[in-house]
Amino acid sequence: MIINFKGAKTYIGTGGKSLDNTKKTFCFLHGAGQNHLSFIQQARFFAYKGYSVVVPDMPAHGFSDGNPCKSIKENAEWINDLLVELKLKNVIITGHSQGCLVALELNKIFKYPLEAIIFVAGSNEIPVNQFLLDLSKENPQKASQMMVIWGHGIDGDMSINKWPGHSHYGEGNNIMCMNQPTALNCDLNSCNDYSDGKDATKKIKVPTLAVLAKNDQMTPLKSGLKFVELMENCETHILDCGHFIPSERPLELNSIINSFLSKLE
Amino acid sequence: MSENYKFDTLSLHAGHIPDKETGSRAVPIYQTTSYVFNSTEEAASLYNMEVGGHLYTRISNPTVAALEQRLAALEGGASALACSSGMAAMHLVISAICSSGDHIVASSKMYGANINLLQHTMPRFGVNTDFVNPNDPEAIKKAIKPNTKLVFGEVIGNPGLDIMDVPETAKICNSENIPLVLDATFNTPYLMQPFKHGANIIVHSLTKWLGGHGIAIGGAIVNGGNFDWGDKDKFPTISGPHFALGGISFWEEFGPSALIAKIRAEGMYNFGPSLSPTNAFHLMQGIETLPLRMKKHIENTHSILDFLVNHEMVKWVKHPDLETHPDHEVAKRILPKGSGSIVAFGIKGGREAGKLFIESVQLASHLANVGDAKTLLIHPGSTTHSHLSSEAMKEGGLTDDMIRLSVGLEDINDIKKDFERGFKAVKKLNK
Repeated sequence: MIINFKGAKTYIGTGGKSLDNTKKTFCFLHGAGQNHLSFIQQARFFAYKGYSVVVPDMPAHGFSDGNPCKSIKENAEWINDLLVELKLKNVIITGHSQGCLVALELNKIFKYPLEAIIFVAGSNEIPVNQFLLDLSKENPQKASQMMVIWGHGIDGDMSINKWPGHSHYGEGNNIMCMNQPTALNCDLNSCNDYSDGKDATKKIKVPTLAVLAKNDQMTPLKSGLKFVELMENCETHILDCGHFIPSERPLELNSIINSFLSKLE
Repeated sequence: MSENYKFDTLSLHAGHIPDKETGSRAVPIYQTTSYVFNSTEEAASLYNMEVGGHLYTRISNPTVAALEQRLAALEGGASALACSSGMAAMHLVISAICSSGDHIVASSKMYGANINLLQHTMPRFGVNTDFVNPNDPEAIKKAIKPNTKLVFGEVIGNPGLDIMDVPETAKICNSENIPLVLDATFNTPYLMQPFKHGANIIVHSLTKWLGGHGIAIGGAIVNGGNFDWGDKDKFPTISGPHFALGGISFWEEFGPSALIAKIRAEGMYNFGPSLSPTNAFHLMQGIETLPLRMKKHIENTHSILDFLVNHEMVKWVKHPDLETHPDHEVAKRILPKGSGSIVAFGIKGGREAGKLFIESVQLASHLANVGDAKTLLIHPGSTTHSHLSSEAMKEGGLTDDMIRLSVGLEDINDIKKDFERGFKAVKKLNK
């Protein structure tokens, strides 16, 4: 659905079902340079399982207009205001990559306790090398292509996909091209500049799930494992794939999330 | 460690990794119609397009999917769909995008079946086409109307060998927000990858060079993922609500792969032009050697061009790699590795001489196909284009004396010897 939010056209994927704010709601937060299409195989899946689903395109991403947020905190404030606008109270946050950092900050400011936080390919810090930061400013398309290659495991290299006929690289590149050219650089700088992750992680009091990837070159497994150690009782799974877990291992991810949520019932 | 594998590697590997259970190095042939669901929930997930997977082989199949993913990788596309033939691919694309009242701009110099579909069949369903010279981007621009939904052409025209100026045409299509759909059968991704030149959708007859062995009919659509289908008034079939799946908008839900998702959900369901898993396997076997074969096809083509150009019995020779070809400059720019292995030539003595030549050669096969590993010959005026009037043939760049040659992979000296046999017979006739 498209709404006018903070004066800009804002797209919110709902997984093919109408948004019902009386239901428990999955809010998916996409990663740097991504948009709602990162969660193609999660949004419809959970919408058809009876949850309400919101997958917003952050400003300047995907189908949303506006200017890109310039920090993780600004991203979190924008999401917080959106959830308030949509009158959502019972929210399960699922962040991918940068979305995990946004989830950490959102947890601090959202006025209702989150039902749970699910971190996918996440960490409490995502430093970005200077080369990629510079390239994302000078040539965002090239930077996107490199991220798509680095971000996928062997399934990306070999065009292996659970969705028949789909290519991780071809699809990934074009998803990133849908964003405004400045969006990627803003996102990467936001990740690189974010330094409150450790404290924010320690403040989490709600159930958490972390799904990490063995061959993650964007948020390395080592960093992810240090991150989960900061939380009490974070259920942790490691999948044999690259950074783009939602598209590389969709069935496994959905199954892990389902199982995690069933334990919370 | 992720790698960006090169073309030759992808030709062999893309779309398949040996499974841990069997270790099968070759892509297995999943000769099955259907797939057991582990639960009702899983079945519902597949039917609702919540997740990827296989329901029924008319819609998708693991062997066919390996082929599709290999093609997507080789073309640099977002997604691909394989089907029963190149003509099925073309029809699937048109029917996914166009509805009654819509309009197409197409090249006037194309394969006869492509022209037939657009000129005679689609108008019965309310979709009309204006044909224009593919070498004239301005003419293409002028032909575009408010209800034009796609521009269609062949990168290398069949059989006239006209080269479409893809980058210039793509610029026009882009400025008009209309997808550029190209039949890239004659070039294959080895010679040219149309998405790098701005095209949006590719259709292939896999039967030809991609398969390469003349043993399996197949087609494919590769979706560049680089077209914005967001205008709901212009492209309601892709971005508007679908009649099933809860009114899904393919553009919103699948973005760059919207077209393929739409075709799988509607075209494959409702028309059913599926590719058999065994044929998908055969076609993949061909693709494994595509780079090697295309290299040899081009080497042999250049050698035979030299032979024909200098032969006393040959009236004219047409190939885009020859300086005399009107599209030579465009060919050099967009097909630097070579402009394919189809050669057209006219034999001295006209129609009768052409027929006699074809009947006199022994090694080259007289048949209605191109892109086989073996050398093939045909006389379009009496076979593939016999249904077209002389006027229509001329518009398509054809003449009565024209022989279409598909250069194979034999030792080129054997082919030359074989042609000498044919020329000798014609010489006797001319005397």
